[in-house]
Amino acid sequence: MAETMERPPLDQNIISRLEEIFGADRVLTNNTDMITYSYDASFETQLNPRKPEVAVIALSTEEVSECVKLANKYKIPIYPRGAATGQTGGAVSTKGGIMIDLSKMNRILDIDHRNMQVIIEPGVIQNDLNEALKSYGLRFPPDPGSANMCTVGGMVSNNSSGLRAVKYGVTRHYVLGMEVVLPTGEIIVTGGAKSKALKSVSGYDLAHLMIGSEGTLGIVTRLRLKLLPLPVTRGIVLCSFKQLEDAGAAVNAVFSSGLQPSAIEIMDFNCTKAVNMMKPELNLPIDNEAILVFEVDGAKEEVSSQVKRLKKVVETYASYIRFSDEPEECEKLWQARKLVGAAVGLLKPGGFRVYGGEDICVPISRLPETLREIHNIANRYGIVCGIYGHVGDGNLHTGPVVNSNNEVEMENVQKMIDDIHDLAIKMEGTTTAEHGVGIVRAKYMDVEHGPAMDIMRAIKKTLDPNNILNPGKMALPN
Amino acid sequence: MKLLTPEESMYTCVRCGACRGVCPTLNITGREADGPRGRVLMARSVLEGAIPVNQEIKDQLDRCLLCSACVDACPMDVQVPDIVMVAKEQIAAATEIDSFHERSVKIDTSQNDIKRTAKPVRNVKDFFFDKVLGDQKNLNKVGNLLWMYQKSGLQKITRAVGIMKFFPEQMQQMESIMPEILPPSKRKSHPEFTPRANDKKEARGRVAFFQGCIMDVMFRKTNDNSIKLLSKAGFDVVTPQSQVCCGALHHHSGKTDKAIEMAKANIAAFENANVDYIITNAGGCGAALVEYEEFFRNDATWLERAKQFSSKIRDISEIVHDKGELPELAGRGERVTYQPSCHLQYVMKVKDAPAKLVKSVPNAEYVDLPDKKYCCGSAGIYNMLQPELANEILDKKMEKVKGTDSAVLITANPGCYLQMKLGVHREGMDQVIETMHVVDYLVESIERAESKTPS
Repeated sequence: MAETMERPPLDQNIISRLEEIFGADRVLTNNTDMITYSYDASFETQLNPRKPEVAVIALSTEEVSECVKLANKYKIPIYPRGAATGQTGGAVSTKGGIMIDLSKMNRILDIDHRNMQVIIEPGVIQNDLNEALKSYGLRFPPDPGSANMCTVGGMVSNNSSGLRAVKYGVTRHYVLGMEVVLPTGEIIVTGGAKSKALKSVSGYDLAHLMIGSEGTLGIVTRLRLKLLPLPVTRGIVLCSFKQLEDAGAAVNAVFSSGLQPSAIEIMDFNCTKAVNMMKPELNLPIDNEAILVFEVDGAKEEVSSQVKRLKKVVETYASYIRFSDEPEECEKLWQARKLVGAAVGLLKPGGFRVYGGEDICVPISRLPETLREIHNIANRYGIVCGIYGHVGDGNLHTGPVVNSNNEVEMENVQKMIDDIHDLAIKMEGTTTAEHGVGIVRAKYMDVEHGPAMDIMRAIKKTLDPNNILNPGKMALPN
Repeated sequence: MKLLTPEESMYTCVRCGACRGVCPTLNITGREADGPRGRVLMARSVLEGAIPVNQEIKDQLDRCLLCSACVDACPMDVQVPDIVMVAKEQIAAATEIDSFHERSVKIDTSQNDIKRTAKPVRNVKDFFFDKVLGDQKNLNKVGNLLWMYQKSGLQKITRAVGIMKFFPEQMQQMESIMPEILPPSKRKSHPEFTPRANDKKEARGRVAFFQGCIMDVMFRKTNDNSIKLLSKAGFDVVTPQSQVCCGALHHHSGKTDKAIEMAKANIAAFENANVDYIITNAGGCGAALVEYEEFFRNDATWLERAKQFSSKIRDISEIVHDKGELPELAGRGERVTYQPSCHLQYVMKVKDAPAKLVKSVPNAEYVDLPDKKYCCGSAGIYNMLQPELANEILDKKMEKVKGTDSAVLITANPGCYLQMKLGVHREGMDQVIETMHVVDYLVESIERAESKTPS
């Protein structure tokens, strides 16, 4: 925001130079435009929007490079942005400067299906990519809940993942190489400049340094991604547990029986209630502490037998089971999980769901006590919340619901978020499993990393000596 | 009824971005301000008085097509078009002094640099809304004039002398694709009752036909065909004579009083018809009719009547597909594609009934139109007000249409029909691609089958 700005405001010459690079149409300076670039999907930027001074819409690597060179020369902060669906304030300004919108760099350049890879620009939407790959029987597996709207560039910068990470891993596992504009404006290609190899151990793996660096070390302008075959079919087992501990035991039993579900999702009693409110016809059982939804995938026969085995394993622990390997019924059962993120908002009439403390990850063995403790925290602050998540990884999404005009609640929910993060660390976990650090979790970086933080700062300083690229994020200097 | 008012709804947006993928203007420019999230926040800022009313904010909000695709995509059902409309109304009220809007919100008008509309333009606008659209008799007279214009050779003359060159490009093109107006003798009132075609079979239901205002003048043939289609599909059809325009254009232009008056007239007219369903063939009208109850939030008597009315509204494709039984159909070996109406797919939530009906025509091949989720850019008179953006949207749409290599392009709403016809015309493909309302296509297919099998 303006008051935190240490530099003099941008002068007209910089705007003119930007107009030369991008054309006047794609250089935005109106106050109303700046308002629309002042947020991402985080609670923090709803409370404290942060306007840049100028926003540019990039269409090519050369434009990005020229723009970064200009910023570096005049030491102007520059903030890369995809679809701004992040929940950490990662894609917003911290002190004015240039917002570079990469969402229009959204071409799929080469579907090299024989080599099981694809080359794309960073602004491609995850779901659009998978739609395009479908006819080749292929897919890019990482599947965040925001797959319909998030850009793959954003996924790479945050090393995102989703509910199928338990079987297929995270974005990092699918990046073969990338083209990056460094903070000096220099363009490099990592993962072999001309390589189409699926494996390589040649040299430092700089691509993997960039992955998850949240746009603090470079701006990704092109990606080479590994693809997997699209599973033919899937099966779902939905079961309900009287006690959280039973659900935990069921997960352990499934893993030790040799089954490998493609997703294991948990929903607590409040989530169950909320989904029933949104879709009464789903009629989920309510006299329980948690619901688990297992998904298995593969060839038809394989799925049928896995569903049967899974059902047999969980029967010992669950009080209620529904299952199917028919596509239509699977879709119905899956709805329970699919709707939960939006449904929790219904827990409080007129309320809205806060994204904060929403991404902790704890060891699977400590999930039941963590869930109980989160509810204790919520009760202490008098806030209603639903908890769901990817139990196979120990990743929990907490959804507190508040009324924005209730000042006490607004204050309490922020304390609650802090307590949840502290809890995650206490449980030998982390404050963020897949959403990232950005602004909102910067204060936990030193606790989580100790002296390793110094190495991170040193890397940042080496690559970005003028500290122009996405400054003030991940506890790196502003 | 919608759970929240627009003013409440704008506070439930968590900016998740789920709306980004379906917004036609964001798809073109990539500017956050051209997307739903940006619009909600800008509208909210102006309504809260956080930013002043001025030309800049007016221009930003005017770029919204109000297509509702974002509402359909939103997990919280944030009412983006309604929110944008409220802000636009407030901006207009702050600018047009003799407008009668309540100043319920604290907007900042201290820096208003918006030019007021010239009085004569305002008068013409008022006349059009009150006296023409508001009165079927006058509308019919306009129809007669238009028919005379086309038949008298005047259309040929104006085209030859090039008078139209003096009008904006968009208007010239519109003029050239205007449907042929039927002569007054063929535009008499619809029969009050049309029984099902096959009286040996039990009726599929008793329905009332909503004829619309412009629809009944400019697209009279489609209206005649709609009644025919319903009858052929096994319905007994009532066409209440006392029905009036749906009022959508009035409502969208801020003339809510007039819109309410029309809503009441229609509710009363259709109550008397005593039917199971009320059928529209224009997604835009249908969407306005299902939202009548919004007008009566604070009027318990009318609210109940409006709810009854709205619950009976069905699109013609939906009712024919769900409850009707079509006679034999026959294609002519053509490939067909379909561009949905936004109001139909996003407000009335009729996603694929028209496509399913078209697919059922033998000896015709249906192909899905890629990116059919995007509005065609017609959106009422959007293409007149925002020609540049509308043309870009249209060009992108036509690229996809051409890609399907179809001979017939089906639409389900008059605005879409005109826009698609305009697109085909701009591509110079009038002879290659025929634009048709789904009703006309189905009736043609029925008649083709009938002519082949003499009874």
